[in-house]
Amino acid sequence: MSSHFRRYLAQKVVWYALAFFLALSLNFFLPRLIPGNPASQIVSALGQQGMVSSQAMKKMYEQYMQDFGLDQPLYKQYFQYLGNVATLDLGTSFMQFPRRVSDLIGKALPYTLAIQIPGIIVGWIIGNLLGAYAAYKGGKTDAVAFTGSLFLSSIPFYCFAIILVYTLAVYFKVFPAAGAYKFGLMPSWTFPFVQDFLRHWILPFLSMVLIIIGGQAIGMREMAIYELGTDYVNYAKGLGVHDRKVVGYVFRNAMLPQVTGLALSFGTMIGGQLIVESVFSYPGVGSLLFTAIRQNDYPMIQGVTLIITVTVLAANFLVELLYGIIDPRIRASQTGEL
Amino acid sequence: MTIIRTFLHSGRFVAGFLILLAVLIFGILGPTLSSKDPLEMAGSIYQKPDDKFLLGTDNFGRDVLTELKFGTRTSLTVGLLGGVMATAIGLSVGTLAGFRGGWVEELLMGLTNVLITIPTIVILILLSVAITVRSAWVMSLIIGVTAWPWTARAVRAQTSSLRTRPHLDIARLSGSSGFAMAIIDVLPYMASYVFMALILQVSSAILSEATLSMLGLGPTNTISLGVMLNWALLWESVRTGAWWAFLPPVVMLSVTSFALLAMNSGMDEIFNPRLRRR
Amino acid sequence: MELLTLADVKAYYRTPSGQIVRAVDGVTLSINEGEVLGIAGESGCGKTTLAQVLALNMQPPLYLAGGEVLADGVDVQKLPPEVKRREYRGKYISVVPQGAMSALNPSLRIRQFVADLMREHYSDLTKRDALDRAEQRLRALDLPVRVLDAYPHQLSGGMKQRTVIAISTLLDPKVLICDEPTSALDVSSQRSVLELLRWLMKEKIIRSCVFVTHELPLLYQIADRVAVMYAGRIAEVGGAEEIIFRPQHPYSTALVGAVLVPEKGMKERRVEGIPGAPPDLRTPPTGCRFAARCRFVDEQCKADPVERTSGTRQVWCWKPGASA
Repeated sequence: MSSHFRRYLAQKVVWYALAFFLALSLNFFLPRLIPGNPASQIVSALGQQGMVSSQAMKKMYEQYMQDFGLDQPLYKQYFQYLGNVATLDLGTSFMQFPRRVSDLIGKALPYTLAIQIPGIIVGWIIGNLLGAYAAYKGGKTDAVAFTGSLFLSSIPFYCFAIILVYTLAVYFKVFPAAGAYKFGLMPSWTFPFVQDFLRHWILPFLSMVLIIIGGQAIGMREMAIYELGTDYVNYAKGLGVHDRKVVGYVFRNAMLPQVTGLALSFGTMIGGQLIVESVFSYPGVGSLLFTAIRQNDYPMIQGVTLIITVTVLAANFLVELLYGIIDPRIRASQTGEL
Repeated sequence: MTIIRTFLHSGRFVAGFLILLAVLIFGILGPTLSSKDPLEMAGSIYQKPDDKFLLGTDNFGRDVLTELKFGTRTSLTVGLLGGVMATAIGLSVGTLAGFRGGWVEELLMGLTNVLITIPTIVILILLSVAITVRSAWVMSLIIGVTAWPWTARAVRAQTSSLRTRPHLDIARLSGSSGFAMAIIDVLPYMASYVFMALILQVSSAILSEATLSMLGLGPTNTISLGVMLNWALLWESVRTGAWWAFLPPVVMLSVTSFALLAMNSGMDEIFNPRLRRR
Repeated sequence: MELLTLADVKAYYRTPSGQIVRAVDGVTLSINEGEVLGIAGESGCGKTTLAQVLALNMQPPLYLAGGEVLADGVDVQKLPPEVKRREYRGKYISVVPQGAMSALNPSLRIRQFVADLMREHYSDLTKRDALDRAEQRLRALDLPVRVLDAYPHQLSGGMKQRTVIAISTLLDPKVLICDEPTSALDVSSQRSVLELLRWLMKEKIIRSCVFVTHELPLLYQIADRVAVMYAGRIAEVGGAEEIIFRPQHPYSTALVGAVLVPEKGMKERRVEGIPGAPPDLRTPPTGCRFAARCRFVDEQCKADPVERTSGTRQVWCWKPGASA
């Protein structure tokens, strides 16, 4: 590992640690701006609905007080929070008392990742190929691909999801409109379940991946057009290097900014996916958040935002690492100016 | 004048601009000319579009067309205010950093970079949850205050490179004060860039408001396109096939977003000639 | 022996709005074995376009609108593109482009590009052989062999320029076209580049060289013949010394007079700028193109000047020698 790379790596680690810490602090402080004691508010609200006995209410109240340390001064609560997060203790859910937030998120996370990860990978690969192809071909192919991509990339994820759900699931009834699997089935690795799962998965997946493809295609096309006009391309051609090889050079160079571009779009994608899940009632982290907001389940909201932050930061960090490996300016060790 | 003519050459820009204009007219004149109250329950639930209700009614029996008019206005207002705010903050931070250099630059850019790394949606959610009473203005504020970092970073890159241009030395020699010098001398070069950034920020702000509203964290006292969609989702309009309750806001959002991005793409081609095919 | 000949060549650009820029508008020129031909002129006179035509590397929207390009008697433009690429580009004619700084692919090590280049033209060459040859050549040119392992960003400006020259001449081209090879360099780097070119000529690694520049004094140091170009056409061509010290075309005189660098013999000349601007090549004027800025213009100049030859010199002017 060259010294350049080591320096790069160290820098990135420090940055991300800092960002994480700041996000953590915001995660702690912002909800605390809400006036009043959340624990008593929730408990009394539940009590008013007459669903809970006074004994149960007392128990809930105590549990929350303990979880949040609401009887402690703020700074102590902060350290308690940090400690809790370190042990993955994200508190108890209000709306699904007495279940733990971490449990609920743990169950929902795989569904979210099942859409996010393939969506990003497939979207990035196909999008970049499409963009590069359009740039190389030019002419009509380019015009069509470009307008299509521009259109797709400008539609918000959830708008597209709603259109897909309505046309393909409600009007044409090709795909199921809600859930991750048929009601009554138990998740397992059997073929019928997997098949049913995929039927439910395809529409949310398409909602994400098509828009990502659009965005990546636009970016890649722009980079490729730029690279195709550079001096080094001209020089290589001038010396008689075959078009095929030159195109290879162009793609290699156009890829680099696309990798960073991907990192920048993680945040938007997560935001979009949250609502796509709500549209499809897909039992991922997004639906969890949706319900949590409606029912003022603050521990859950905090838990979800924390998970989102961690995932996005981790993904960004990996991408930056990858970039450090492939960019020759960082990879090459400095031999001193010749 | 020539600038306007060059803009007219870009098909994308013109198309986007015309669409935006249509949306603006709908969103500004619509509510002003309408005598109806969007929140009034005028008909029965999920009535299909007919002569009386051109776009039918929603889950509360309200006229969707009126809701659309007022909702568009709110979304546009929040978008514009939030976008302008974010651009203004980003511009100030970026110019200050790029121009002053030294520790000012390090500090500001450090802050900016950290904020860019934290996913914006998280901060938006947390802020909206924390502020329990939200008007359109509050929404704009929340969005404006969280969206500026990427603009700041881009602006600073520009001002950093412009800092060493000769005419700035002349200005410095003639005694113009630092910040004033920045504004007057550097801005014309960056005008195109700033304008494009503004378009992107406005577009992003409109969508952020819609996202927050759809999650239930939108304005608490008024209607917006995102709020319409939130109700549509909560009340199963999609699965019951009441397309008039969700398609209008979906179309309005998509079309506005497309128009703004088309304008931006058109401007990009004009201002970055290297992107034009050789 | 004429290695490369241009016969009344016209090369135009088609702009996106449909207009035609007549960058090279009727140029007849030949490059002979063993000589360095300098092409001088202001920016915008069409010399870079001419360089592209000479290098057989015309990329759209540039196209050949008329005339012939002959390499050793063969009309090259009529050859199939594959032959042009494999047999001529890099091998017969090679280029050192303007802005050699950015001519190297930033994400490739030099040796990767060199290997690619050599194996494009000699397909049965192994990578090892290609690199060996490259190393030999670098040593001969007095460049450190470490350059091969480097990425472009690790090399200094002067080093990059010399590396590019080395790469361009790897295949021993007969004609080397250099487009402003020294314009971005400091004086000592400029000198090393010129020495390198002289050495390549002496060792017959290259058989002839075309040196395109706007800096006339440079041509005094390296060129045998000089062609002065203006608004897409050649104004005057002849031996380097006679063009620089005894110019006959009013433009050549003005160009020489505008020089600020005190070269031997030039100190006595007055320094004057050339008033006015070159014509717009989308709508070139009829008749002599320099007429609008010429001090000696009269009625004749409304017609295209005919060529006047005297000895080794050719002038396209109605009143050659008026400015002497």
